[in-house]
Amino acid sequence: MRLLTKAWTVGVALVTAGALTACSGAGGTTASAGGGSADQPVKLTVWSWDGTVELAVPGFEKANPGIEVEVVNAGSSSDEYQALDNAIQAGSGVPDLVMFEYFAVPYFAVPGKLADLGPLGATELADDYVPSAWNNVVMGDGVYALPSDFGPAVMFWNEATFAEAGIDEAPTTWDEYYEDAKKIRALGDDYYITQDTNDLFFLLSLIWQAGGRPFEVDGTTVHIDFSAPETRKAVAFWQKMIDEDLVNTKISAWSDDWNRALNDGTLASQNMGGWLTSTLPERAPDAAGDFRVALMPQWDEGEKVGAENGGSSFGIPEAAANKEAAYKFLEYFTHGEGLQPRVDAGAFVPNRSVLDSPEFQDVENPYFGDQKTGQVLAEASNIAAVGWQYPPFFEWARSTYGDIATPFYTSGKGSLAEVLQTWEQRSVEYGNEQGFQVD
Amino acid sequence: MSATERMTRPAAASVPLPGGAPQQYRRRRTRQIGWAFVAPFGILFALVFIVPITYAAYLSLFQDRMVGGPSFVGLANYTKLFGDAQFWDGVSRVVSFTLVQVPIMLVLALVLALAMDSMRLRGMRFMRVAIFLPYAVPAIVSTLMWGFMLGVRYGLFGSINGWLGTDLDPFRPSTTLISIGIMVTWAFTGYNMLIFDSVLKAVPQELYEAAAIDGAGELRVIRAIKLPALRGSLVITVIFSIIGTFQIFNEPQILPSMVANSGITTYYTPNLYAFNLAFTGSQQGYAAALALVMAAFTIAIAYAVQIRGMRDALDQ
Repeated sequence: MRLLTKAWTVGVALVTAGALTACSGAGGTTASAGGGSADQPVKLTVWSWDGTVELAVPGFEKANPGIEVEVVNAGSSSDEYQALDNAIQAGSGVPDLVMFEYFAVPYFAVPGKLADLGPLGATELADDYVPSAWNNVVMGDGVYALPSDFGPAVMFWNEATFAEAGIDEAPTTWDEYYEDAKKIRALGDDYYITQDTNDLFFLLSLIWQAGGRPFEVDGTTVHIDFSAPETRKAVAFWQKMIDEDLVNTKISAWSDDWNRALNDGTLASQNMGGWLTSTLPERAPDAAGDFRVALMPQWDEGEKVGAENGGSSFGIPEAAANKEAAYKFLEYFTHGEGLQPRVDAGAFVPNRSVLDSPEFQDVENPYFGDQKTGQVLAEASNIAAVGWQYPPFFEWARSTYGDIATPFYTSGKGSLAEVLQTWEQRSVEYGNEQGFQVD
Repeated sequence: MSATERMTRPAAASVPLPGGAPQQYRRRRTRQIGWAFVAPFGILFALVFIVPITYAAYLSLFQDRMVGGPSFVGLANYTKLFGDAQFWDGVSRVVSFTLVQVPIMLVLALVLALAMDSMRLRGMRFMRVAIFLPYAVPAIVSTLMWGFMLGVRYGLFGSINGWLGTDLDPFRPSTTLISIGIMVTWAFTGYNMLIFDSVLKAVPQELYEAAAIDGAGELRVIRAIKLPALRGSLVITVIFSIIGTFQIFNEPQILPSMVANSGITTYYTPNLYAFNLAFTGSQQGYAAALALVMAAFTIAIAYAVQIRGMRDALDQ
């Protein structure tokens, strides 16, 4: 027993010592990265969960001998933002380039945690991006990130299931979509045109397309309003779909159930970001050849208005050590020569130079029955409506939305409009607590 | 150490100093050596326990704001917490969970331990390991496993519903907590059983022999010998279980990504609420206040159970 205790003590001491050296080791690297002078090679740390960024590194290092790039996956989305917040607070280990979903850019930019890329030359790149993507990274006069991938809202529809229901074309208006939903529902118990279990980003893309702009942000002043007629129109439509049992509210996206239902064709369509093009084949390999991509249905016949659903960008923290070198690499992989290797590997980018190119538009995609999906995606990107804004505390707001919306989706009691109203109230409360002026 | 004593002892014996100074000196030395022995533990305890708690207490006096940074707010976080309906929702959930789950689990563990100890079962070693094994499975893995097993669409319950034509759903908002209770019971029954089992093993054989001579049957032996022997360990297991259930986190954290609309909110348990406040709401100060209040609450209940248990044990 005594021997055990002794071994334990020694073990603990060793572990502690190890942890201490590990800490000082990490501190050491940061310090050396911070002190990179002209004759010493500069080392850039990039935080990214987009695997394609790495592909741009070899070319960049070759063209810029003084700069070394290390791409690190510091977690996806919330995990990474948390890590960045910690690093900024601690004042050490701050990376030089960080990936952000578009809605997270204001969260960091408004409190001054992101560098304005305008003076570094970002303003000149505006014309290469589709308007809506550029709109995501600009706040006031500043440019706080460069778009790296894009999520134009499109409809993935299973041609085989639609055909079974006697429909041979994708719905072009939401009215048609509603009629098709009824026909597909009639195929059997498990058949639905789509599923929704409080998918906030889908609902927002619907509102976005209808012309609603529930968030208005100007510096630290935020206005939230879900009562505009355009917003109400979109919400009422989806309410009708749910009320009439035309939407499966049992299967949530990305779950195992979802994969299976996409595979066996019982979920007939998905309105999602264009990025699903590259992941759908993994999710639903059995449905190869059945799915097609179409523009999202329109509110008025003959119109062509789009919206966004997801997408991300890269920014440079204000506390980063090597802003100029970081910008060089950022420009290289989001706009310059580093873009092509990423596109070849499946990245979906909002750069006009890529979207409008014949290489992108003329490729036949075997999974989608040899459809030239690039054409649809490019068009959806170009028509994505501008003017949408996210409040700086959206990261918090989206987690709260689930709490508020779940009771409605499980019990069917209440309405989406009430859910949004409660959400608005909570967001106003939280925003004011956080020091913004919110109404 | 023996060398120094040999040096001090003759000195103390041969030179009679007034006031007994060497005696005191020696006592102080002994005390210092005692500190040296405690130091490895003391330093670690301070580093991983006292320092973080003090830091949390310090943090809890500040409010973090995205605009303007942290500001000192005194006890405002605490007053806000006591009026926070979401906090109380989580607290009442874990309290009612504890009231139902802990007795069920401990009775189950007790019955299993007594069965093991009855010497009438075959393959006891295997049984003991098999029942204990769930404790060794990480909560994340077991949650995933149970999530698939209890899943309605393609899981085990899907098949059961298919055969029986029923519409059971273990992950409805009204049933999710029961499902979590089953997961927790599955994971911890073996652990508690092992504690009881080891206590029963320590009961002197003579007691059983005496009981047998007196003509006591198996039930009588359980009532008169085994249960009284288990009393002390019962108090311990109750305390451990209360601490454990008050800190439920893994299950409600993982389940929402597996099943839709399980009714799990961001404030489902106090621990989950603290996590979400700190990590998505960037309200570290408020989260720290919550964590401290919950710690005080847990300690108070554990202490009450202990005192109660001790008193009962003394009454015996």
